[in-house]
Amino acid sequence: MKRRRFFTTLAAAGSVPALVAQPQIQTPPPPGTPVQSGYPKLDTTLPESVGEIVPKFFTPQQFAALQKLSDILQPAVSGIPGALEAKAPDFLDFLLSESPADRQKLYRDGLDALVHAGFLNADSAKTAQILSPLKQPWTFEEPTDPLARFLRAAKADVRTATVNSREFNTAGAAAGGGSRRFGAQGLYWVSLDPL
Amino acid sequence: MAATQYDVLIIGSGASGGMAAHTLTKKGVNCVMLDAGPQVDFQRDRVLKAVYDLPYRGFGKPGKLAHVFQANEFNANQWVDEQQVPYTHDPKEPYNWVRVRMIGGKSNFWARMSFRLSDYEFKGKDWDGYGENWPISLADLAPYYSQVEPIFRVTGRKEGLAQLPDGEFIEDKSPDSEAAAKLKVHGKPMGMTITKIRRATGNGQLASSFNLLLPDAMATGKLTLVPNAVVREITVDKNTGKVNGANFHDKHSGRELHVAAKAVVLGASCLESTRILLNSGIANSSGVLGHYLHDQFYMSNAVVAIIPEAKNGARGFGGSGYIPRYRNLTNGEKRNYIRGFCFDFSTGNTPDPKYFGGWGEDLQKELDSARGAGFSCTMMGEVLPRFENRVSINKDVKDHWGIPVLDFKCKYTDNEFNMAKDAVESLSEVCHNAGWEILNKTPNMYPPGYSIHELGTCRMGDNPKTSVLNKWNQSHDIKNLFVVDGSSFVTGGSQNPTMTILSLSMRASEYLAEQMRAGNV
Repeated sequence: MKRRRFFTTLAAAGSVPALVAQPQIQTPPPPGTPVQSGYPKLDTTLPESVGEIVPKFFTPQQFAALQKLSDILQPAVSGIPGALEAKAPDFLDFLLSESPADRQKLYRDGLDALVHAGFLNADSAKTAQILSPLKQPWTFEEPTDPLARFLRAAKADVRTATVNSREFNTAGAAAGGGSRRFGAQGLYWVSLDPL
Repeated sequence: MAATQYDVLIIGSGASGGMAAHTLTKKGVNCVMLDAGPQVDFQRDRVLKAVYDLPYRGFGKPGKLAHVFQANEFNANQWVDEQQVPYTHDPKEPYNWVRVRMIGGKSNFWARMSFRLSDYEFKGKDWDGYGENWPISLADLAPYYSQVEPIFRVTGRKEGLAQLPDGEFIEDKSPDSEAAAKLKVHGKPMGMTITKIRRATGNGQLASSFNLLLPDAMATGKLTLVPNAVVREITVDKNTGKVNGANFHDKHSGRELHVAAKAVVLGASCLESTRILLNSGIANSSGVLGHYLHDQFYMSNAVVAIIPEAKNGARGFGGSGYIPRYRNLTNGEKRNYIRGFCFDFSTGNTPDPKYFGGWGEDLQKELDSARGAGFSCTMMGEVLPRFENRVSINKDVKDHWGIPVLDFKCKYTDNEFNMAKDAVESLSEVCHNAGWEILNKTPNMYPPGYSIHELGTCRMGDNPKTSVLNKWNQSHDIKNLFVVDGSSFVTGGSQNPTMTILSLSMRASEYLAEQMRAGNV
C-alpha cells in the first residue's frame, strides 16, 4: 500500500484521528534537552573500595623504607588514621609510577639513601638524625642536597595522600572531627566538549 | 545563499569581548561573536565529588598542565589542553601561559579583585622617566569605570588614596578585623594603608561576561554567538586595505569558514589576540606588535606568620584586606627600583605544614595550636614593559587546527627582584613589630605569566611608530580594526587589570559605534 493511501485509509476509521494527529502536534524538544526515560541509574562502587593497590614501582626495600617513613611522618593520632591506615605508601607507588622521570629518580634515590643509612632498623634517635634535614626552615628554592630534597617532597606527598584518603576522612568524620576538617570535597569539572 | 555580512565581528567572549558586545548591541550594532570554546553549563558540567573519589586523590594526573600552577584535580578540565594548543619557550626561561577557552573566558574564574589604575600608572613616565605614558589619563577612563563597577557590583570602601582611586562601590561597612587593625597601626610608620578588598560580587555565584554582559547583549537581538569557532586569521579587503572578517575553524570538524563583517573587534585575551594579528600579518607597521609583554609578578605566601593572640581557637582575628602601593609615591624617594607593589592578605587560616620543621605527632600538635591563627599574603608587583620581552610566531609548531603557535621570550630583571626583596622585608618588619611570629618570608616569584595578568604586546599610544593602537584601541594602520583586551596596556601597575580592561572595551566600543554611525568606519 502506498504511504498516502495508508494514511487516507486510517483517517476513515473512527478511532484513527487521534493516532494520526499525534505526530502533527508534537514539537521537537529544544537542542540540549536531557533524554527523558526510564533508563536505570545503578549504584556503583569505586575500584579502591573493592581492591588493594598492587605495588609495582618501588623495589621491596624501597617500599619498606617508604612505609616506615610514611608511618613516622604521618602516624595515626587520637584515633584518626595515619599514612599506613590510609594506604598512602601504596598510593604513592602508583602515583610515582606515572610521574615524570625526574620525580621518579628523586624518590628512588631518596629511598635508597635511607636504606643505605640504616633507616629500616634505626632506633628513634638515629631516625631523628636521618630525618634532621626536615628541621631546616622551608625555603622557596629546593634544597641542593638530594636527600633533603626527597624528604621535603615526601613529607608533603605522604600528608596529602593521607588526608585525601577515604580512610582518613570517613574515620575522622565519624570520630567527630574536633576542630579539624574532614570530608574534603569540591566541584569537579567534567571534560568539556572534547575533540 | 550569500552569507550574512555583520556590522562587527567580535573575537572572544570574555571580559573584553563581552563588554564590546554589551556596548555595541545596545547601540543597535549587529554583531557576530566567535569564541574558540564551548558554552558550559555550570550545573551539568560540574559534579560534587569527595577528594578521595578522584583517581589521583587530588594530586592530579602527573605531568598534565605543567605550566598551570593553579590547576588541581578538580578543575583540570577547565584549562586549555597544552597538547592541543601548545606554545614554545626556552626551557631556561619558562612562561606560564594559563588559558581558558569557553564562553565567558577567564571571567568565569577570575579572583574578582576590582581596582582602578591611577595616574601613577597612566602617566608613569612623567613620574619616573621610564617607558611611555598611556595616551589617556584617569580622567578619560573614570566615566567608564563608573559604569562598569555597578554592572559588576563592586564592593569596597572609599579611602581617598591617589594611588588607588575610589570607585562606585557597594559600600563595605564591615569593621576591620583585629589583625587588620593591628597592621594599620604598625604599618603606618612605613607609609602603609590598609583597605578593604574591592571585589566584584556579580550575582553572587558568577561575576562574569557570561552572566553579566552577554545575556543583555543577546536580549537586544543584535548578537549572534558562535561557540567552538577557532579563528585562524583576520582577512583584509585588498582593494580598501580594511579588514573584512575572519577565517575560522569549526573546533570539532576542523572545516574552515569565513565570516564577513564591516569591522573587527579583537578581545580574544591578550596573547591570543596578538597571535591572531601576527598570523594575519597585519597592524604591525610599527614593528612593536608582540613586544612589551608584561604582567604583574605574584609571590604567593610572600610572608607567612602566626598571630600569637589568635592561637588555640581565639576569635576575632579572621578576615582579609589589601595593602595598596606605598613605595615611590613621593618626589625624591630613592630606591633601587621604580614603580610599586601591593599585597592582599588573609588571616584566620592555618599555615601549611611545610612551614613547621617537625613531623608526626609533634607536628600535628603545632598545627592544632596554630589552627586559625595564620597570616598569609600575596604580593603583586608591577613589571616594567620592555621591548625585549615579547611573543612571536613559531612557524615550526602548530596547534590542533594547524595554526602556528606563539614563542615566548620573557624574563624578570633587577627592578622586579629588588622590588620583591623590599616588599617582603618591609611587610615582615611590620608583622614583627606587631608581635607576630614570622614563619616564612619569600622574595621569590614564579615564572612570568603565573598571575594570569598578561598585558601589552599590542600597546596603545599617540605615535604610530612606537605603538599598535591609538587612544581609542583602534589600529593605527587599519581604521576598522580594534583590539580591546589587556594587550592594549602600556603599563600594568600592581592592580588587577580586569576593571581597566572592561572600561577600555566599553570606551572603545562606544567610539566605534559613533564612527560607524558617522560613516568613518
